[in-house]
Amino acid sequence: MFLLPKGNPLYENIPAAKIKLPEMLGKLKSGNFTGYLNFNFPTSAAIIFFESGKLISALLERGTTQQTGFEAMAGVCNNIMAGGGSLNVYRLSKDLTMGLHALLHGEMLYRGQEVKLIDIKGLLEKVKAKRLNGCLRIYTEDRSALIFYKDGSPLGFFHDGTQDIDTSASESQKIAGLPGAKIDVLSTKSADELMDYDLLEMVNVDKLWGSTESRYALEMNQMKREGQEREVKERESRLRELEEDLKEVVSAYLGKMGRTLVEKELGSVGGRESLLNENDVTKFLAGVERSAKLLTSLSKLKEMVTTMKDEIAGRTKP
Amino acid sequence: MTEFGAIVGIVQVVFWLLAGGVSFYFSIGNARVWTSISVGFFLIFLSQLYLLEPSWADYTQLQAVDYIIGTVAIMVMTHGFQEYYVFSRTLDIGGSKLAVYLGTLGVICVSSAFIFINPEPTYTVLRNIKMIENATWVFLAVINIDLIRKIYIQIRDSVISKGFVAFGIVFFFIFLWKGSELYLQVFCWDSDWHIFATNNSIADTFDLYSGRIAFSMMINQAAAMLSALSVGGTFIYLYRLLR
Repeated sequence: MFLLPKGNPLYENIPAAKIKLPEMLGKLKSGNFTGYLNFNFPTSAAIIFFESGKLISALLERGTTQQTGFEAMAGVCNNIMAGGGSLNVYRLSKDLTMGLHALLHGEMLYRGQEVKLIDIKGLLEKVKAKRLNGCLRIYTEDRSALIFYKDGSPLGFFHDGTQDIDTSASESQKIAGLPGAKIDVLSTKSADELMDYDLLEMVNVDKLWGSTESRYALEMNQMKREGQEREVKERESRLRELEEDLKEVVSAYLGKMGRTLVEKELGSVGGRESLLNENDVTKFLAGVERSAKLLTSLSKLKEMVTTMKDEIAGRTKP
Repeated sequence: MTEFGAIVGIVQVVFWLLAGGVSFYFSIGNARVWTSISVGFFLIFLSQLYLLEPSWADYTQLQAVDYIIGTVAIMVMTHGFQEYYVFSRTLDIGGSKLAVYLGTLGVICVSSAFIFINPEPTYTVLRNIKMIENATWVFLAVINIDLIRKIYIQIRDSVISKGFVAFGIVFFFIFLWKGSELYLQVFCWDSDWHIFATNNSIADTFDLYSGRIAFSMMINQAAAMLSALSVGGTFIYLYRLLR
C-alpha cells in the first residue's frame, strides 16, 4: 500500500476504534503539526497530510479505487466506526511532507519512462532548471526508490527496506541501473502554496464525524436488534426441534398419548422456553413421569426419562 | 359345601386376594386411579371371604354388610376406570387417595349403620340386597367394558394396552357371573327363593324350568371361577408389563 518514510513517529499502532477523529485533528491543528497520519484499516488505508497544522490532503485507497478530499475524510470516519485497523502518526519536515504529497497527489509529468531510453542526466538538469517541487520514483517490478526534490534540489532518498530518508544516492542509482527500470516524475506545489489549502476549513469534520457516529449507532442498534431477533428465532427453532424430539422419544415409549403428554406438561410449566430452566425441566419431567407411570413399565419409564434428560441437557447447553 | 366346592372357593379367594394385592402395589407411588381400582378389587376379596367359611352366612346382618361391600366394590372400581378414561382423554391426574379410602370407608360405615339400625334382615330382605348387588354389578360391568374399550382405543399403542384387553375379559366373566345369578333371582329360580318358597308352601316354577336353571347355575359357577382366575391372571400379566 503506502510505503512512506516514517520520520519522527509520534504515535504508532494506536487502535483506530479508540480515536475521536475531530479531537485528534483539532490537536494536530493547534499543535501546528507537519507530517502525516497513516491509517491501516482491514480493507483500506488512508494517508492524511498536515502542513503546519493545516490538513492539506487526504487519500483513502481501497483496492484499486482511491478517494480524496471530503470523500476520503468520510471514508476514514466510516472505517474508524467500523472498527479494526490502526493509526500511525509521523512528524516530518515541511519539505519532505511536500515531497510525499507530490508522490500521492502530485501531477504526473512522466509516467513509466524506461530509464535506459531517457537521458537521465538531462532530466535531472531539467528538474533543477524548473525548480521542481516533487518526487522521482525509480522502480523495477520488485524494487523502488524515491528521490524528493525541493526547488529542483534533491532533499533525500527513500527506498524499499528503509524507514527513513537516506542522503546517499547509491541505492537509487543501483535500481536505475537494473534492467527494465522505469521512472515516474511527479510535481506538486511548494509547501507554502500547499498551505493555502486546508481541508479542515472546508470540511466540517465534527459534523461529518457526528453524522457517521449516529449512522453507525443506528446501524449497530439495527444489527443488534437483528442479531437479537435472529438469536430468538434460532433459540425458538432449536427449542421447537427439541420439543419435537421429546415428543418422538415419549411416543416411542407411550404411544400416541406421548405427544399430547409432552405438550400438556410443557404447557403447564410455561411452554418450550421453560426447557432452558433447570427447575422447570425438573417439574416437566416429574409431570411426564407421573402420567407415564399409568402407561408403561418402571424400567421403560426410567429409560425414557434418562433419554429425555440427556436430550434436554445436550440441546440446551449455552 | 362339597370338598371340591371348598377348593374352588379357596382358589377364588386366593385370586381375588392376588388381584387386590397387585393393584394395591400399583397404587403405591402412583395416581389415585389405581387406588380406586385396588380398593375395589380388595373389597371383592373381602366380599368373597365367606367362601372360606360359609357358616358366616348365618349372621344375616353380616351377610347384608357383605353384599353392601360387594356393591361398593364394583362402584369404587368403576370410579377408578372412569378416572383412567378421563386420564386417557385429558391426561389429567388429580384427586387425593385419602378421599378414596375415606369415601369408601364412609359409604360402608353408613350402609352398615343402616343395616344395624333397622330390623334384622330376613332371608327375603337379604335376597333383595343381593339382587341390588347383582344388578349393580351387571350394569357397571357393562359400563366398565365400554369404558375399557374406550380406554383401549386411546392407549392401544402403549405397553399397558393389552392389560386393558384382559380387564375387558375379566368384566365379561363378571357380567356372566353376576348376570346369571341376577337372572335366576329375577325369575325366582335362585336357591334362596326355592328354600323360601318350599318352607312357605309357595308354588314356584323351579321344576318347570330346571334345564335353563341348571344351565344358568353352571354358567354362574363357571363364570365366578373364570372371573377369579382371569382377574388374578390379568394382574399377574399387568405386574409383568409394568415392573
